[in-house]
Amino acid sequence: MTDMLILMARHGYALTFALLLAEALGLPVPAAIALVAAGAAVASHALSAPMILFAAVVALLLGDIAQFWLGRYSGWALLGFLCRLSMNPETCILRSAESFYKRGKTTLVIAKFIPGVNTMAAPLAGSMKMRFTEFLRLDFAGAVLYSVAYLFVGYLSRDFLAATLHGFHAAGKAMEIVVLAAIIAYAIYRGVQFARFKKYRVMPRIQVEELVARLASDEAARVQIVDVRSHGYYDVGTERIKGSIRIEPNNLEEEIKNLPKDKDIYLYCT
Amino acid sequence: MAHLLQEKGFNTFVIVGGLTAWRKAGQPLESIPKDDLVKLPTFS
Repeated sequence: MTDMLILMARHGYALTFALLLAEALGLPVPAAIALVAAGAAVASHALSAPMILFAAVVALLLGDIAQFWLGRYSGWALLGFLCRLSMNPETCILRSAESFYKRGKTTLVIAKFIPGVNTMAAPLAGSMKMRFTEFLRLDFAGAVLYSVAYLFVGYLSRDFLAATLHGFHAAGKAMEIVVLAAIIAYAIYRGVQFARFKKYRVMPRIQVEELVARLASDEAARVQIVDVRSHGYYDVGTERIKGSIRIEPNNLEEEIKNLPKDKDIYLYCT
Repeated sequence: MAHLLQEKGFNTFVIVGGLTAWRKAGQPLESIPKDDLVKLPTFS
Protein backbone atom coordinates (compact mmCIF):
# COMPACT_ATOMS: atom_id res chain seq x y z
CA MET A 1 0.00 0.00 0.00
CA THR A 2 2.86 2.37 0.86
CA ASP A 3 4.47 1.59 -2.49
CA MET A 4 1.12 2.17 -4.12
CA LEU A 5 0.87 5.60 -2.48
CA ILE A 6 4.32 6.63 -3.69
CA LEU A 7 3.49 5.40 -7.17
CA MET A 8 0.20 7.26 -7.04
CA ALA A 9 1.92 10.52 -6.21
CA ARG A 10 4.23 10.12 -9.22
CA HIS A 11 2.12 8.41 -11.88
CA GLY A 12 -1.35 8.61 -10.40
CA TYR A 13 -3.44 9.25 -13.50
CA ALA A 14 -1.67 6.75 -15.76
CA LEU A 15 -1.54 4.08 -13.06
CA THR A 16 -5.21 4.45 -12.16
CA PHE A 17 -6.18 4.38 -15.82
CA ALA A 18 -4.08 1.27 -16.55
CA LEU A 19 -5.25 -0.70 -13.51
CA LEU A 20 -8.92 0.09 -14.00
CA LEU A 21 -8.74 -0.70 -17.70
CA ALA A 22 -7.10 -4.04 -16.86
CA GLU A 23 -9.79 -4.81 -14.29
CA ALA A 24 -12.58 -3.92 -16.70
CA LEU A 25 -11.02 -6.29 -19.22
CA GLY A 26 -11.27 -9.09 -16.67
CA LEU A 27 -7.71 -9.20 -15.37
CA PRO A 28 -7.21 -9.83 -11.64
CA VAL A 29 -5.60 -6.53 -10.63
CA PRO A 30 -6.04 -4.52 -7.39
CA ALA A 31 -8.05 -1.73 -9.02
CA ALA A 32 -10.13 -0.93 -5.93
CA ILE A 33 -6.96 -0.51 -3.88
CA ALA A 34 -5.57 1.77 -6.58
CA LEU A 35 -8.68 3.92 -6.31
CA VAL A 36 -8.38 4.07 -2.51
CA ALA A 37 -4.73 5.11 -2.88
CA ALA A 38 -5.73 7.69 -5.48
CA GLY A 39 -8.36 9.03 -3.08
CA ALA A 40 -5.67 9.42 -0.41
CA ALA A 41 -3.46 11.19 -2.96
CA VAL A 42 -6.33 13.57 -3.73
CA ALA A 43 -6.65 14.33 -0.01
CA SER A 44 -2.92 15.11 0.04
CA HIS A 45 -3.35 17.44 -2.97
CA ALA A 46 -1.03 15.24 -5.05
CA LEU A 47 -3.81 14.52 -7.57
CA SER A 48 -6.82 16.41 -8.83
CA ALA A 49 -10.19 14.84 -7.94
CA PRO A 50 -11.97 15.61 -11.25
CA MET A 51 -9.00 14.41 -13.31
CA ILE A 52 -8.60 11.12 -11.44
CA LEU A 53 -12.33 10.50 -11.59
CA PHE A 54 -12.26 11.18 -15.34
CA ALA A 55 -9.32 8.78 -15.85
CA ALA A 56 -11.04 6.06 -13.80
CA VAL A 57 -14.42 6.32 -15.51
CA VAL A 58 -12.94 6.45 -19.02
CA ALA A 59 -10.79 3.36 -18.30
CA LEU A 60 -13.75 1.41 -16.94
CA LEU A 61 -15.96 2.40 -19.84
CA LEU A 62 -13.36 1.45 -22.44
CA GLY A 63 -12.83 -1.99 -20.90
CA ASP A 64 -16.54 -2.63 -20.49
CA ILE A 65 -17.36 -1.51 -24.03
CA ALA A 66 -14.74 -3.96 -25.37
CA GLN A 67 -16.29 -6.74 -23.28
CA PHE A 68 -19.79 -5.76 -24.40
CA TRP A 69 -18.90 -6.11 -28.08
CA LEU A 70 -17.00 -9.32 -27.39
CA GLY A 71 -20.19 -10.70 -25.86
CA ARG A 72 -22.27 -9.39 -28.76
CA TYR A 73 -20.11 -11.04 -31.41
CA SER A 74 -19.34 -14.29 -29.58
CA GLY A 75 -23.01 -14.92 -28.73
CA TRP A 76 -23.34 -17.33 -25.84
CA ALA A 77 -19.90 -18.86 -26.34
CA LEU A 78 -18.31 -16.49 -23.84
CA LEU A 79 -20.85 -17.30 -21.13
CA GLY A 80 -20.40 -20.98 -21.94
CA PHE A 81 -16.67 -20.59 -21.47
CA LEU A 82 -17.09 -18.76 -18.15
CA CYS A 83 -19.53 -21.44 -16.93
CA ARG A 84 -17.24 -24.33 -17.79
CA LEU A 85 -15.70 -24.16 -14.35
CA SER A 86 -19.03 -24.52 -12.58
CA MET A 87 -20.36 -27.84 -11.28
CA ASN A 88 -23.21 -27.80 -13.79
CA PRO A 89 -22.41 -25.64 -16.84
CA GLU A 90 -25.90 -26.02 -18.36
CA THR A 91 -27.60 -24.77 -15.19
CA CYS A 92 -24.98 -22.04 -14.78
CA ILE A 93 -25.75 -20.67 -18.25
CA LEU A 94 -29.52 -20.86 -17.91
CA ARG A 95 -29.58 -19.31 -14.44
CA SER A 96 -27.06 -16.58 -15.29
CA ALA A 97 -29.03 -15.59 -18.38
CA GLU A 98 -32.39 -15.60 -16.58
CA SER A 99 -31.05 -13.76 -13.55
CA PHE A 100 -29.38 -11.11 -15.68
CA TYR A 101 -32.52 -10.72 -17.76
CA LYS A 102 -34.57 -10.05 -14.63
CA ARG A 103 -32.07 -7.83 -12.85
CA GLY A 104 -29.78 -6.77 -15.68
CA LYS A 105 -30.21 -3.04 -15.27
CA THR A 106 -29.57 -3.01 -11.54
CA THR A 107 -26.80 -5.53 -11.95
CA LEU A 108 -24.90 -3.34 -14.38
CA VAL A 109 -24.90 -0.44 -11.92
CA ILE A 110 -23.62 -2.44 -8.94
CA ALA A 111 -21.67 -5.20 -10.73
CA LYS A 112 -18.29 -3.61 -10.18
CA PHE A 113 -18.59 -4.08 -6.44
CA ILE A 114 -19.15 -7.82 -6.77
CA PRO A 115 -16.11 -9.95 -7.72
CA GLY A 116 -16.94 -12.33 -10.56
CA VAL A 117 -20.10 -10.51 -11.54
CA ASN A 118 -18.04 -7.53 -12.66
CA THR A 119 -16.32 -9.73 -15.26
CA MET A 120 -19.55 -11.22 -16.57
CA ALA A 121 -21.91 -8.23 -16.60
CA ALA A 122 -20.68 -6.40 -19.70
CA PRO A 123 -20.26 -9.47 -21.97
CA LEU A 124 -23.64 -10.78 -20.79
CA ALA A 125 -25.27 -7.49 -21.73
CA GLY A 126 -23.70 -7.90 -25.17
CA SER A 127 -24.74 -11.54 -25.53
CA MET A 128 -28.28 -10.65 -24.51
CA LYS A 129 -28.43 -7.94 -27.14
CA MET A 130 -28.99 -5.03 -24.79
CA ARG A 131 -29.16 -1.77 -26.73
CA PHE A 132 -25.73 -0.17 -26.74
CA THR A 133 -26.96 3.25 -25.65
CA GLU A 134 -28.80 1.69 -22.71
CA PHE A 135 -25.73 -0.33 -21.77
CA LEU A 136 -23.57 2.77 -21.98
CA ARG A 137 -25.92 4.77 -19.75
CA LEU A 138 -26.12 2.07 -17.06
CA ASP A 139 -22.43 1.23 -17.25
CA PHE A 140 -21.52 4.88 -16.96
CA ALA A 141 -23.63 5.12 -13.80
CA GLY A 142 -21.90 1.99 -12.44
CA ALA A 143 -18.43 3.28 -13.29
CA VAL A 144 -19.06 6.64 -11.62
CA LEU A 145 -20.56 5.01 -8.51
CA TYR A 146 -17.67 2.57 -8.18
CA SER A 147 -14.97 5.18 -8.73
CA VAL A 148 -16.51 7.79 -6.44
CA ALA A 149 -17.11 5.23 -3.68
CA TYR A 150 -13.51 4.01 -3.53
CA LEU A 151 -11.98 7.44 -4.10
CA PHE A 152 -14.10 8.71 -1.24
CA VAL A 153 -12.96 5.86 1.01
CA GLY A 154 -9.35 6.75 0.17
CA TYR A 155 -10.01 10.44 0.72
CA LEU A 156 -11.49 9.81 4.17
CA SER A 157 -8.98 7.21 5.24
CA ARG A 158 -5.83 9.11 4.37
CA ASP A 159 -4.86 9.34 8.03
CA PHE A 160 -5.77 5.75 8.70
CA LEU A 161 -3.89 4.08 5.91
CA ALA A 162 -1.36 2.59 8.30
CA ALA A 163 -4.17 0.81 10.09
CA THR A 164 -5.66 -0.15 6.74
CA LEU A 165 -2.29 -1.50 5.68
CA HIS A 166 -2.21 -3.70 8.77
CA GLY A 167 -5.72 -4.88 7.87
CA PHE A 168 -4.64 -5.74 4.35
CA HIS A 169 -1.73 -7.79 5.70
CA ALA A 170 -4.09 -9.71 8.00
CA ALA A 171 -6.58 -10.22 5.18
CA GLY A 172 -3.75 -11.35 2.93
CA LYS A 173 -2.66 -13.98 5.46
CA ALA A 174 -6.24 -15.21 5.82
CA MET A 175 -6.58 -15.36 2.04
CA GLU A 176 -3.39 -17.42 1.77
CA ILE A 177 -4.84 -19.96 4.19
CA VAL A 178 -8.15 -20.09 2.30
CA VAL A 179 -6.38 -20.55 -1.05
CA LEU A 180 -4.11 -23.26 0.39
CA ALA A 181 -7.12 -25.09 1.87
CA ALA A 182 -8.92 -24.87 -1.49
CA ILE A 183 -5.90 -26.30 -3.35
CA ILE A 184 -5.64 -29.18 -0.87
CA ALA A 185 -9.39 -29.89 -1.12
CA TYR A 186 -9.18 -29.88 -4.92
CA ALA A 187 -6.17 -32.22 -4.88
CA ILE A 188 -8.06 -34.62 -2.60
CA TYR A 189 -11.11 -34.45 -4.88
CA ARG A 190 -8.98 -35.21 -7.95
CA GLY A 191 -7.29 -38.06 -6.07
CA VAL A 192 -10.66 -39.60 -5.17
CA GLN A 193 -11.84 -39.24 -8.78
CA PHE A 194 -8.64 -40.86 -10.03
CA ALA A 195 -9.02 -43.77 -7.61
CA ARG A 196 -12.66 -44.16 -8.60
CA PHE A 197 -11.90 -44.49 -12.30
CA LYS A 198 -8.67 -46.42 -11.88
CA LYS A 199 -10.62 -49.69 -11.90
CA TYR A 200 -11.80 -49.04 -15.46
CA ARG A 201 -9.71 -50.05 -18.38
CA VAL A 202 -8.29 -47.28 -20.57
CA MET A 203 -11.01 -45.76 -22.72
CA PRO A 204 -10.67 -46.67 -26.41
CA ARG A 205 -9.88 -43.64 -28.53
CA ILE A 206 -10.28 -43.23 -32.25
CA GLN A 207 -8.68 -40.83 -34.69
CA VAL A 208 -10.91 -38.84 -37.03
CA GLU A 209 -9.43 -40.66 -40.07
CA GLU A 210 -10.30 -44.07 -38.60
CA LEU A 211 -13.85 -42.99 -37.88
CA VAL A 212 -14.27 -41.55 -41.37
CA ALA A 213 -13.07 -44.83 -42.84
CA ARG A 214 -15.56 -46.68 -40.70
CA LEU A 215 -18.37 -44.41 -41.84
CA ALA A 216 -17.45 -45.16 -45.45
CA SER A 217 -17.49 -48.92 -44.86
CA ASP A 218 -20.27 -51.48 -44.39
CA GLU A 219 -20.10 -50.80 -40.66
CA ALA A 220 -21.52 -47.28 -41.01
CA ALA A 221 -24.90 -48.40 -39.74
CA ARG A 222 -23.30 -49.41 -36.44
CA VAL A 223 -21.86 -45.93 -35.83
CA GLN A 224 -23.56 -43.39 -33.57
CA ILE A 225 -21.68 -40.14 -33.04
CA VAL A 226 -22.67 -38.31 -29.87
CA ASP A 227 -22.04 -34.67 -28.96
CA VAL A 228 -21.33 -34.40 -25.23
CA ARG A 229 -20.33 -30.75 -25.02
CA SER A 230 -20.90 -29.45 -21.53
CA HIS A 231 -23.69 -27.07 -22.48
CA GLY A 232 -26.49 -26.91 -25.01
CA TYR A 233 -26.99 -25.09 -28.28
CA TYR A 234 -27.88 -21.44 -27.86
CA ASP A 235 -26.74 -19.70 -31.04
CA VAL A 236 -28.37 -20.10 -34.42
CA GLY A 237 -25.67 -21.34 -36.78
CA THR A 238 -23.91 -23.51 -34.18
CA GLU A 239 -22.45 -26.55 -35.90
CA ARG A 240 -21.96 -30.16 -34.95
CA ILE A 241 -20.66 -33.30 -36.66
CA LYS A 242 -23.07 -34.30 -39.38
CA GLY A 243 -25.42 -37.04 -38.22
CA SER A 244 -24.51 -36.73 -34.56
CA ILE A 245 -26.95 -36.44 -31.69
CA ARG A 246 -26.51 -34.58 -28.43
CA ILE A 247 -26.81 -35.95 -24.94
CA GLU A 248 -26.84 -33.74 -21.90
CA PRO A 249 -23.95 -34.85 -19.64
CA ASN A 250 -25.70 -33.60 -16.51
CA ASN A 251 -28.81 -35.64 -17.23
CA LEU A 252 -27.08 -38.83 -18.26
CA GLU A 253 -29.45 -41.34 -16.66
CA GLU A 254 -32.38 -40.04 -18.70
CA GLU A 255 -30.39 -39.38 -21.86
CA ILE A 256 -28.99 -42.91 -21.96
CA LYS A 257 -32.48 -44.24 -22.63
CA ASN A 258 -32.37 -42.60 -26.07
CA LEU A 259 -29.07 -44.18 -27.08
CA PRO A 260 -29.17 -47.18 -29.42
CA LYS A 261 -27.76 -50.27 -27.70
CA ASP A 262 -26.97 -51.96 -31.00
CA LYS A 263 -24.51 -49.27 -32.13
CA ASP A 264 -21.01 -48.26 -31.15
CA ILE A 265 -20.97 -44.86 -29.46
CA TYR A 266 -18.39 -42.26 -30.53
CA LEU A 267 -18.19 -39.33 -28.16
CA TYR A 268 -16.85 -35.88 -28.88
CA CYS A 269 -16.74 -32.46 -27.30
CA THR A 270 -15.25 -29.17 -28.51
CA MET B 1 -18.84 -39.89 -18.97
CA ALA B 2 -17.37 -42.39 -21.43
CA HIS B 3 -16.65 -44.67 -18.47
CA LEU B 4 -20.21 -44.38 -17.26
CA LEU B 5 -21.56 -45.29 -20.69
CA GLN B 6 -19.23 -48.27 -20.79
CA GLU B 7 -20.52 -49.30 -17.40
CA LYS B 8 -24.05 -49.26 -18.81
CA GLY B 9 -23.02 -51.69 -21.52
CA PHE B 10 -22.36 -49.36 -24.45
CA ASN B 11 -19.36 -49.98 -26.68
CA THR B 12 -17.88 -46.51 -26.35
CA PHE B 13 -15.04 -44.66 -28.07
CA VAL B 14 -13.71 -41.13 -27.68
CA ILE B 15 -12.92 -39.13 -30.84
CA VAL B 16 -9.40 -37.76 -30.47
CA GLY B 17 -9.38 -33.97 -30.78
CA GLY B 18 -13.19 -33.73 -30.79
CA LEU B 19 -15.04 -31.30 -33.00
CA THR B 20 -11.91 -29.26 -33.65
CA ALA B 21 -10.07 -32.23 -35.17
CA TRP B 22 -13.15 -33.17 -37.19
CA ARG B 23 -13.43 -29.65 -38.56
CA LYS B 24 -9.68 -29.48 -39.30
CA ALA B 25 -9.92 -32.73 -41.25
CA GLY B 26 -12.53 -31.07 -43.47
CA GLN B 27 -15.24 -33.55 -42.54
CA PRO B 28 -18.92 -32.59 -42.90
CA LEU B 29 -20.71 -30.53 -40.28
CA GLU B 30 -24.35 -29.58 -39.95
CA SER B 31 -26.22 -26.70 -38.38
CA ILE B 32 -28.09 -27.48 -35.20
CA PRO B 33 -31.76 -28.30 -35.88
CA LYS B 34 -34.08 -25.52 -34.70
CA ASP B 35 -35.81 -27.86 -32.25
CA ASP B 36 -32.54 -28.49 -30.45
CA LEU B 37 -31.82 -24.80 -29.89
CA VAL B 38 -32.31 -23.59 -26.33
CA LYS B 39 -33.89 -20.15 -26.28
CA LEU B 40 -32.19 -17.86 -23.78
CA PRO B 41 -33.70 -14.49 -22.93
CA THR B 42 -32.49 -11.40 -24.75
CA PHE B 43 -33.24 -7.70 -24.35
CA SER B 44 -34.05 -7.19 -28.02
